[in-house]
Amino acid sequence: MNFKKFFELAKLNGLESADIEEVRSKSLSIEIFKGEIVSYSVSIDKNFTARGIYNGKMGFVSVESDDKSTPEYIVKTIKEAASLNESSDEAIIFKGSPKYKKKRVYNERLSSFGAEEAIKMLHEIEDKLYAKSDKIKDVEVGFSLSDNSSVLANSYGLNLKTKNNYFYFYAEIVLSENENETKSAFDIFFDNDLDKFDLDKFVDELVEKGLSKLNGESIESGKHKIVLKENCVASLLAAAISNASSESVQKHSSVFEGKLNQKIFSSKITIEERPLEKNLFYTYFDDECVATCNKKIIDKGVLKTFFYNLATAKKDGVETTGNARGRGSKMGIGFTNIFLKPGKLSEEQLFEKIEEGVYVTSLAGLHAGLNPVSGDFSLQAEGFHIKGGKLGKALKLFTLSGNLFKVFNDVIALGNNSKLLSSSINSVSMAVKNLKISAE
Amino acid sequence: MISKKLAAEVINVASQTGADFVEIFAENSFNTYLEVENGKVEETRNSNISGVGLRLLKGTQSVYGSTGDISRKSLLELAKELSASFNGQKQIEDVKSFKLKKHKNFNTPSTPLTSIPTEKIISLLKEINSVLSSHDKRIVKSTTAMIIKTNDNEIFNSKGLMFKNYREYGRFIIESVASENGKIETRFDGPATQGGWEFFTKTLDLKALAKENAEKVILMLQAKEAPSGKFPVIIGNGWGGVIFHEACGHQLEATSVAKGMSVFSGKKGEQIANPIVSAYDDPTIPNEWGSFNVDDEGNQPVKHELIKNGILTGYLIDDFNGRRMNEAGNGASRRQSYKYEPTSRMSNTYIAPGKSTPEEIIKNTKLALYAVSFGGGSVNPATGEFNFGCSEAYIVKDGKITEPVRGATLVGNARDILMHIDMVGNDLALGQGMCGSSSGNIPVNVGQPTIRVDEIVVGGRGGSIYEF
Repeated sequence: MNFKKFFELAKLNGLESADIEEVRSKSLSIEIFKGEIVSYSVSIDKNFTARGIYNGKMGFVSVESDDKSTPEYIVKTIKEAASLNESSDEAIIFKGSPKYKKKRVYNERLSSFGAEEAIKMLHEIEDKLYAKSDKIKDVEVGFSLSDNSSVLANSYGLNLKTKNNYFYFYAEIVLSENENETKSAFDIFFDNDLDKFDLDKFVDELVEKGLSKLNGESIESGKHKIVLKENCVASLLAAAISNASSESVQKHSSVFEGKLNQKIFSSKITIEERPLEKNLFYTYFDDECVATCNKKIIDKGVLKTFFYNLATAKKDGVETTGNARGRGSKMGIGFTNIFLKPGKLSEEQLFEKIEEGVYVTSLAGLHAGLNPVSGDFSLQAEGFHIKGGKLGKALKLFTLSGNLFKVFNDVIALGNNSKLLSSSINSVSMAVKNLKISAE
Repeated sequence: MISKKLAAEVINVASQTGADFVEIFAENSFNTYLEVENGKVEETRNSNISGVGLRLLKGTQSVYGSTGDISRKSLLELAKELSASFNGQKQIEDVKSFKLKKHKNFNTPSTPLTSIPTEKIISLLKEINSVLSSHDKRIVKSTTAMIIKTNDNEIFNSKGLMFKNYREYGRFIIESVASENGKIETRFDGPATQGGWEFFTKTLDLKALAKENAEKVILMLQAKEAPSGKFPVIIGNGWGGVIFHEACGHQLEATSVAKGMSVFSGKKGEQIANPIVSAYDDPTIPNEWGSFNVDDEGNQPVKHELIKNGILTGYLIDDFNGRRMNEAGNGASRRQSYKYEPTSRMSNTYIAPGKSTPEEIIKNTKLALYAVSFGGGSVNPATGEFNFGCSEAYIVKDGKITEPVRGATLVGNARDILMHIDMVGNDLALGQGMCGSSSGNIPVNVGQPTIRVDEIVVGGRGGSIYEF
């Protein structure tokens, strides 16, 4: 679509200002099962999201079709939506930040990586996994490569571009030793640099993870000291800091309301948002075209800022933090590249520290079993005994319950095993005081 | 969307290298979302989904591509790129024309939501919103919203067949947030239909539903923490059916059965549930949220018997996974949009009614958790391990419902949970939800009468159930 023509049409139809983003992406996904390519898919996507101010109110739309009638449809829909809008949020199309910290994150080498080579690697992963143990009954392996670009422009002449690419390999193994017990293990590796993918290490770690789950023993229901693996910490952390959304605070649905500059977590907890970190999740402007910045959200347990967009910042009389998210809909709040500051101990030292307890390696059922507003959770969990300061046997199915905010207050120690997860959270393992376990 | 001529050209190019079946799924759908928050229109959102999905099959191999660019050039390029995955000789004849295959319409006539003026919908949203906000000052946020989604698609395949399909979905969201002394509780209701405007204005009593939503959020705000441990649980009708959906339904989809990645692979004819349990998946119920007149690969849907008197009798099969199972597809293939390769999915899935009244079930129970409403759940089909979170629950003691409790999550394994159902009520009801799996998020109904499970692990933050 010709953006210039769109802006002209918008002006002609009485829109005071407008912006539009075009996102293009191409992705390839391949899955192998028992030596056969069971799924090979190519997806070519194009999407436009546009906003405009009409009679002082914001309207927005998201469109995939791109023909002669599209600009007209976009303008008409924006006007209709703006006419119905009764929100007290001030409608702002941002002229532009004085400076943007644009970095190059696109990997040219990855863009020339072909399907044939990926298929070869998938076969190799599958063969190696089966060869590792006869307890591995089924294996599913897959690969995905994604190439994305976007242009976000507004009627003030701003034009911001992004380009990135990434790949991931994943594998799931199903294991069993007897008819009564089946376990599965899953792992994913993502990056935009293929040289960082160590195929043998990936296979070895997955097999070890799977085998360790077999022959689980029971655990008594009750309160136990817990070491949460970094992925579990990340899930709880994401839910907890969603309460730092200024929108939730202003709507009285956040427990962080009125807690700015107060101690809300253990002083061992420091959390930063680093959108400008040069990794897969790097982003130099938000969905309102505001330049992003790195910042501390929680410093030694003290809440330092909320996440703001232009409208919520205006309400609180502060500057936006560049956390606007929501192209094609009402602008909300989002965050990326969250870093939980690591501690000094290895996982083994965390086990020694708590002596007796449970190492929780996976949590499931987060969408129904965790209320991010109240912080209460009760989740399906997997894990191991910790006995005499050492990792023990796998445990049978159990639930882990508690309250998010209490968890981050009851920290015994943090691990030094920082890992970037696909949720864009850099997390570490964490030992916490008593959490409730329920089991058979 | 695309012409028959272009469809034939694309299919014929795609089949050059040995595909034995080629299919085009062309779509142009629209979504509208209207939201009133604390009495004001906060958001009106419109979006359009438009593009083509192209699928090539060769034996048990599948190649899929999707594009939002539906020009001839783009579609022919995609066809060439995908066909390059095979390197054989052409196996099927070129398509010259398409025969439009008509299908039965299961739905009864109703007024399409897309024909209702937006102002009229907003007025209804505001009316229901005020029921929430005026109920109790502890309700700090009240949201009502209407989602209208059309799904308009055309399917062309290399057998020279063409199918047209149009569906209109409507969902009414009622959500409240209550707060008191630092405690916060939320409650969500989302009745949904393919039955048009009349469902929301005649079939449902939205005001009563909003009143119940407001009453329950306040009740649960004051509730004690749920007990933990392993004990009997009575599961309420309607949305309670999410237990069957997670604990059994997903494992009966050919998606996992065909590869032997389901705990119920190869178990047809075996007893997997207590003999008092029978279960069905029925996409043909008129106007229901999970129904369809033709599935997403053009097959006629039928009512599926899944379990009869505890014996596993059927799976949900799509054409492609059926090849691996040596069985024909049975009209269970679904996808969110053209971006997703279709696969076997549930529609309206339920446990059939039994003989007990819900009152009898409660009266015959000494001590149990009574789980009435759920936020959802998830399952790993390979291991059978599942969970689901209760949003409304009570303690039943000596045959009577006593006090409300909050925050219970139930976990178990699909291998044995159905064997532990020891009472089935006569009050079958359905509840609407969105189900996410490999072919995207699709509307489904879960359903069941009130049932009792003799033991299941409950994770709550409270103590033993014997302390109640």
